[in-house]
Amino acid sequence: MLIYTINRLLQLIPVVFVLTVVVFGFVHALPGDLIDAMGGTESIDDPEVRAALEKELGLDQPIVVQYWLWLEKVVQGDFGNSLITRRPVATELLERIPATAYLAVVGIGLSLLIAIPLGTIAAVRRNSITDYTAQITSLIGISIPEFWFAILSILVFSLYFNLLPSSGYVGPGEDFGLSIWYLILPAVAIGFRQAAYTTRLTRSSMLDEIGKDYVITHRSLGLSERKVIYKYTLRNALIPTITISGLQFANLLGGTVVLETIFSWPGIGLTIYQAIQLRDYPVIQAGILFLGFMVVIINLLVDLLYRVLNPRVGTGT
Amino acid sequence: MSNVRNNWANGLNRREFLAASAAAGVMAAGMPATARAMPKRGGTLRFATRVDGSGLDLHRSLAYYVSNPLAGITQGLLDIDQKMNIVPGVAEEWEVSKDLMRYTFRLRKGVEYHDGADVDAESVKWNFERILDPAIGFAFTRSSLLDVDRMEVDSKHIIHIHLKRPSAVFAGNVVYYPVNLMSPASVDQADTNPVGCGPFKYVSWKRYAKTELVRFENYFETGEDGKPLPYLDAIEGYPKRDDSVRLTSLRSGEVDLIENMSYFDVPDFRRDYADRFNTWDVAQVGGAHFNINAKSGPFAMDAPDGKLLRQAVAHAIDRQAIHEAVFNGLSEATHSYYTSASPWHMPDVKPGPEYDPEKSRFILRKLNMENMPIAVVARTEFQYMRNGGEILHAMLMDAGFGATNEVFDNPALRAKYSKDDWGIDSTATSYRFEPDGWYSRWIHSQGDEGKLRVGFKNERCDQLIEEAKLTLDNNLRKEMYTEVDSIVNDEAALICHHGVPLTTAGVNSLKGYAPAIAGPYSWSGGGIRTAHFDDAA
Repeated sequence: MLIYTINRLLQLIPVVFVLTVVVFGFVHALPGDLIDAMGGTESIDDPEVRAALEKELGLDQPIVVQYWLWLEKVVQGDFGNSLITRRPVATELLERIPATAYLAVVGIGLSLLIAIPLGTIAAVRRNSITDYTAQITSLIGISIPEFWFAILSILVFSLYFNLLPSSGYVGPGEDFGLSIWYLILPAVAIGFRQAAYTTRLTRSSMLDEIGKDYVITHRSLGLSERKVIYKYTLRNALIPTITISGLQFANLLGGTVVLETIFSWPGIGLTIYQAIQLRDYPVIQAGILFLGFMVVIINLLVDLLYRVLNPRVGTGT
Repeated sequence: MSNVRNNWANGLNRREFLAASAAAGVMAAGMPATARAMPKRGGTLRFATRVDGSGLDLHRSLAYYVSNPLAGITQGLLDIDQKMNIVPGVAEEWEVSKDLMRYTFRLRKGVEYHDGADVDAESVKWNFERILDPAIGFAFTRSSLLDVDRMEVDSKHIIHIHLKRPSAVFAGNVVYYPVNLMSPASVDQADTNPVGCGPFKYVSWKRYAKTELVRFENYFETGEDGKPLPYLDAIEGYPKRDDSVRLTSLRSGEVDLIENMSYFDVPDFRRDYADRFNTWDVAQVGGAHFNINAKSGPFAMDAPDGKLLRQAVAHAIDRQAIHEAVFNGLSEATHSYYTSASPWHMPDVKPGPEYDPEKSRFILRKLNMENMPIAVVARTEFQYMRNGGEILHAMLMDAGFGATNEVFDNPALRAKYSKDDWGIDSTATSYRFEPDGWYSRWIHSQGDEGKLRVGFKNERCDQLIEEAKLTLDNNLRKEMYTEVDSIVNDEAALICHHGVPLTTAGVNSLKGYAPAIAGPYSWSGGGIRTAHFDDAA
């Protein structure tokens, strides 16, 4: 397991390197001049100003040099300063990442809490009322766009019943109780839709597993149905669920710009989107690099979890 | 209905407004002091805005005057009143030399920065020098001071500003937006803890999440109770970029005040929620215009049929349709930059070609240019620009052009301007308070924006704009600008079509508040400076 983990970690190095090249290349290929973008709606035509800004921002260097200088700093954990706010990029992103992570963790957690029991019960009680209810509910969840569900939730819970805040964010470190208050609607909006996908996936995986020989063997050995289902079958059925949930989690870390806009949630997705609009290169680069890195890490964690669930994975057997 | 609209929006002229104000003053003076309720001090205003600040350094960043939650921490050397007149502020008097080459500002004594330092002549000089540093000053801010040649501190409270060239309009360039004063001693923390001299002090800023400001206890302006303004203890700013999200926050009681309401929400909101909320209109915070690419291509000033083709475009534009479809009937159609709400409105401007799509088709047929391709572009960030582009596209198609319509973010659009890769730009501008900022930058052939985004050239216009800049009498200036706008309309290179209005809404308990063109924070004797809560409401 240790060697497997080290191998996987070593494989990350070229992946992350390629990621830096792609991110840097992508950002510098965006249409529009950075200095023009810094002027907002005003022209920066004064050559003296342009020259001063180009020098300050290192734009007077060849692109390869710019990349190398950036990479050198990134390796040392220095992502530079935002071109717009002049604050360190790390500060800019660190203000956002907790909000995004908080929402993603709770959203995914909520979806798994709903989906795994519901999908399992639906499979075990196939063609029963419970199964039909689970299938219809998940179909509705998949069919309803997230933003529509979010708006509907706001309408009902914020405007009609005045139970929950319609938008905004309070960090768990500031006031945990209040933070939960603000979290409920966005987390439910995310969790409901993700749960819909995951319920269907869990149900179909369970159905596949239930029909397999080892389950019949376990039953014939006289093991209780509960033990057969929850100890042996569910464990194997969870592999695709974990894969998909891992990807969903990575996607959520990337931010959900629409939901962040609806709930005024100061997440990383909206930050990167706005940085792109302002051509704030250091923030875009660091933000996308962070997200790419997180996808790679989550994939690694998912792979390691496979090994826990099924030790044959990665051994060649 | 409890809508509170400012006097411009109600269409009062200056004389009517003064008469009404005088009558109100007489009535107030005649009332016993006990009968007049003093504004109650205290309370935190939760204010949801469309945009957030782009940075804390008051010289490097632009504090967009309409909706930046950070705007309360600073102000300029002079102030603006609700009618957009330049009035005393930090400087209580100013005078200009006969040759228009020197401005002298006498600073009010006792004005302080939030760190307790005096706002004195040396600090003003330091501020202007820092803004003029090309590596520091934000382009918009710096450009307002480019006429400064040198500054001379006469005494602690008197500063002379010598200009490179004569100007009658310089005072308008040292008001809040763009010029903001900060404490020289705070320069090292300008990006993290700005220290200005405005009515509120900085506490914290989490970008796109929350801004916290508290009352500056030594602010120089005083309220009705003779104590320093503002009445409010604190402001919490919540940037919420989506119009409906801001409105929902207001309706659900999470904020007390929102700005920039969607034009399409305003009528229903007024009808359904008048018992709980007030709304305020500012008739114009900027102007919407279509810029035709007169720099190059078929519409160019020097193209053989350029003028005729531009006029064909002008004939295709139905202002009434734009009025309904883009502004939901809330704006005012114009033929120049300023609506009737503005003191710079010029009723004698000759309109350009009238709406007559048949004439457009005739011109295109005559020139054998039917279905002539034309790229309509707009910025993605502002709905009225996008909607303006969409409806213009439809009108051009109807008039026989082969138009396309695309939206871009600002940097991409500016790249298109630079490459002349566009036909007509549906855009808008929120102007500097001094109209020279509009005419010199957009209409003058050497103006930065004109050169980049219009390409209009006319010697007579250049001459009039330069003369206006040297004229202290505003009525004379208006005559000059009237002629300029009449020429621009005839040439149809830049077609002003509507003022851009602004509607703000707030809880009924918020009193003493009214927005102005100068924004919610920075106008003398009003806005958030005089806002207070009345729990009985």
